[in-house]
Amino acid sequence: MTEQPLLTAEDLRLSFGETKALDGASLHVWAGEVVALMGSSGSGKSTLLHCLAGILTPESGRVGYAGRDLSAMSDTERSALRRGEFGFVFQFGQLVPELTCRENVALPLRLTGTGRREAHRTATEWLERLEVADVADKRPGQASGGQGQRVAVARALVGRPRVVFADEPTGALDSLNGELVMKLFIAAAKETGAAVVLVTHEARVAAYSDREAIVRDGVVREQEYVR
Amino acid sequence: MTRLRTWAFEIGLGARMSVAGGRAGWTRLALIATGVGIGVAVLLAVATLPTALAASNARTEARTENIAASTDLPRGDDTMLIGIATMMFRGDSVHGRMLQAEGSRPPVPPGVTTLPGPGEMLVSPALADLMADEPLLAQRWGARVVGTIADEGLSGPADLAFYLGTDTLTEETGHRIAGFGYAGVEDEGGVSPVMLLLSAVGMVVLLMPVMVFMASAVRFGGEARDRRLAALRLVGADAAMTRRIAAGETLAGALLGLVVGAVLAVGAGLLVNRYASGAMSFYLTDMRPVPALVALIAVGVPAVAVLVTLSAMRQVVVQPLGVVRLSGTTRRRLWWRLILPVLGVALLWPLKDGLGGSSGVELQAAAGVALLLIGLALLLPWWVEATVHRLGGGSVAWELAIRRLQLDSGTAVRAVSGIAVSVAGVIALQGLVSGVESTIGGEGGSDARPFQHEILPRADLPDQTWITALEKTPGVREVQTVRSVYGTQDGTSVRIRIGDCAVLAAFAETAGCADGDVYAVDVPAGPATYELSDDTTWTPPTANHEVAATPSYEIYGPALLITPGALRGMKVPSAETNFALNLDTADPDAVEHLRNTVATLDPQTLVSEPGNATVAATMRTIRQSLLVGTVVLLLLIGASLVVNVAEQLRERRKVLAVLVAFGTRRRTLTGSVLAQAAVPVLIGMTLAVGFGSALAAALMAMVEAPVTVDWFGIGTTSGVAALVVLGTTAATLPTLMRLTRPGNLRSE
Repeated sequence: MTEQPLLTAEDLRLSFGETKALDGASLHVWAGEVVALMGSSGSGKSTLLHCLAGILTPESGRVGYAGRDLSAMSDTERSALRRGEFGFVFQFGQLVPELTCRENVALPLRLTGTGRREAHRTATEWLERLEVADVADKRPGQASGGQGQRVAVARALVGRPRVVFADEPTGALDSLNGELVMKLFIAAAKETGAAVVLVTHEARVAAYSDREAIVRDGVVREQEYVR
Repeated sequence: MTRLRTWAFEIGLGARMSVAGGRAGWTRLALIATGVGIGVAVLLAVATLPTALAASNARTEARTENIAASTDLPRGDDTMLIGIATMMFRGDSVHGRMLQAEGSRPPVPPGVTTLPGPGEMLVSPALADLMADEPLLAQRWGARVVGTIADEGLSGPADLAFYLGTDTLTEETGHRIAGFGYAGVEDEGGVSPVMLLLSAVGMVVLLMPVMVFMASAVRFGGEARDRRLAALRLVGADAAMTRRIAAGETLAGALLGLVVGAVLAVGAGLLVNRYASGAMSFYLTDMRPVPALVALIAVGVPAVAVLVTLSAMRQVVVQPLGVVRLSGTTRRRLWWRLILPVLGVALLWPLKDGLGGSSGVELQAAAGVALLLIGLALLLPWWVEATVHRLGGGSVAWELAIRRLQLDSGTAVRAVSGIAVSVAGVIALQGLVSGVESTIGGEGGSDARPFQHEILPRADLPDQTWITALEKTPGVREVQTVRSVYGTQDGTSVRIRIGDCAVLAAFAETAGCADGDVYAVDVPAGPATYELSDDTTWTPPTANHEVAATPSYEIYGPALLITPGALRGMKVPSAETNFALNLDTADPDAVEHLRNTVATLDPQTLVSEPGNATVAATMRTIRQSLLVGTVVLLLLIGASLVVNVAEQLRERRKVLAVLVAFGTRRRTLTGSVLAQAAVPVLIGMTLAVGFGSALAAALMAMVEAPVTVDWFGIGTTSGVAALVVLGTTAATLPTLMRLTRPGNLRSE
């Protein structure tokens, strides 16, 4: 763990109408660390993840990434940051349905300017690594839920991001598939040195993290190192 | 009974669901109703045309005189002499008659209560308005306007007509009649097979895109509806029930569309009554649609709408937990899509050497064109699918668009098939119009030869009177006398003209002409004797040059042109004297001044102009209408493209949000939308230009015109189609921007 945190959230506040989603949330994430944000539905954990990723802008407070203030960046700058430095895994994979699994994985590389052939070669390696090379030329609709989620993990990691944000990555899977996805996901993330911010309400998923942060009523209440 | 009640409940539930979806539901219903309404309005207009034209024709016939049948009519207390004084003003024909009662009970034309006396005239309201606006026209007949012609004496509210009272007609210069009303002719010009063909093809070209558009309109919001139906399946509705509920939803939109269509049709009728001109001008009472056609529209449109919905639902399986689309997995088949185009070609092929004189060929041609155009609409989905499956590579935007089209090209193709059919039809019609124009020689405006205007007097006035009056007319540079003899040789009519070289140059290519030359136009060389109308014969000087007619005079057939020197004292029998004029054609008022001079001296005199101005003007109007029609049709299609793309974007909001979360640039997504709209349009246009040009060639061959490619038509329609694609993309940008806010991920 380095001296300075890679990602910081300081006193974030954000409301949706009358509902306070974040009410002074603060969190630090160090490079290579896996942090699980836990909490019940509506606690604000997903909103915190979206703020950390620069998807949502908090009304007040500051999000910092590698010494830069995300809150002060323009939409274009934040897009560029997400393109180059971040990766994402969502509950339902959210793969682009018309692209093949290989094309989906290659997409982040192509968005950063990598040539089609090179992007596809790297994507194939990642699909092999996550043991889903057999669905490379299939569309997401033709793959199973577990396979689709592993493809989504491959897509999140293919660009070797410094941070991967995962929002309930196993929420739509049975426990067996969920375990497999998490095992492969965390192993691959550790291998690439990416930090992972993981939103979950399942203890067995949180068990893959280095640290658990409990979010309640829009505030990070407790933090505990699990390993 | 119970089953009927259940069905009624389900259909009613569907109708309720169509308005229950809040703003989105109302928007969808409004879009369907507007789309169907526009289609219904066009159909009602078509259903109104037969009665409106019949009413207009009936009035035209009621005022027409049977001159040919009354040549031996003796003068009586109930007869009158009439003179044909119809004349042009600018591009419009002004129907005119000189009336001279011969007794105390003369016939009165419809719409007239009291005949105008000498020096008086009755005018139609439209002519009165025009005379008030145009001082040049107001002074034409030098008569006092004493009243207007009532509606029953006019073809429509825009009809330009007048009755001029006179006492100068004689049995030689006028025609004796004992009454008005002659049903022997349709109108003064008659309806040519070419015009029938134009109308028939025009109708097909107009109706086809309307059908496609209506079919597209009833599918607006279909994806959202399928999701609602999935929710109903979750609470126990079976597949048949969901189909009936969907039918109910569509039915509500279609019925509302009928109401919207009726309102639009009434509005269009009011506009036509007020602003339309020429043959399309009708009174409100004329515009009553054929009841049987109205019934067909009222029943057929909702029925077709329901059928389209049910057919669209064959492509999806609505299951309790969601909707599964089948379109990506079933490949389209080619063979049955070729049946209609092949039938179309089979119908058109026998007509490739011309329409001939047999009746019903226009119908055959129209049916052939219709089958080809419908065939195009059927071929397009296969063509697009086959093409996009071969595409790949390229940028991310291109790849996203192509993969999307590969997964489901149906939505895009539905809108594009409208464009393709319209463009193919319009290119075919433009080609046909160009073909007809090339056979009639155009308006002659580009022919700069002098002496193209000719005066053919009817009244017996001294030549010098004419020459003096014509020379004083503003815009007339020079007046030359031409003597004309009409002869027949071996059954062929030949017009023999005698005039100076300068004058004859207007009629034929007489370069190097010298006094003493004789020119033959489509007449065999060598000496010839002609039979004249008074049963005598004449042998004019023998032609020493064979030449071609000038473009303006090609349509007048064989002619013999003689310079005065060639006569060498020879006596010319029963020649009529005409006057050829060198007119300042740069001044548009010159020809109107000329017509004023002519009308003052003898309103029955014919002013012959270069080319075939009336037909050319009609063709120009058709061309302009086609262009306006194309733009309107393409805008209509563009509107449905916008709705389709916006709906697709809404459907994909989560995927779009994820792409943005990854940092995908908006221009990549915009490029993807553009390519997604442009690729099917490009494929559709290629097919349309091919089909349209082939159709145009077939139609040109039918009217025996030289087969050419109408690049202007192709360019214009393709350009507008390209604008529609760009416009579609631009119009969907706000939706794209709204949907690609990363915050949309929050719904995850």
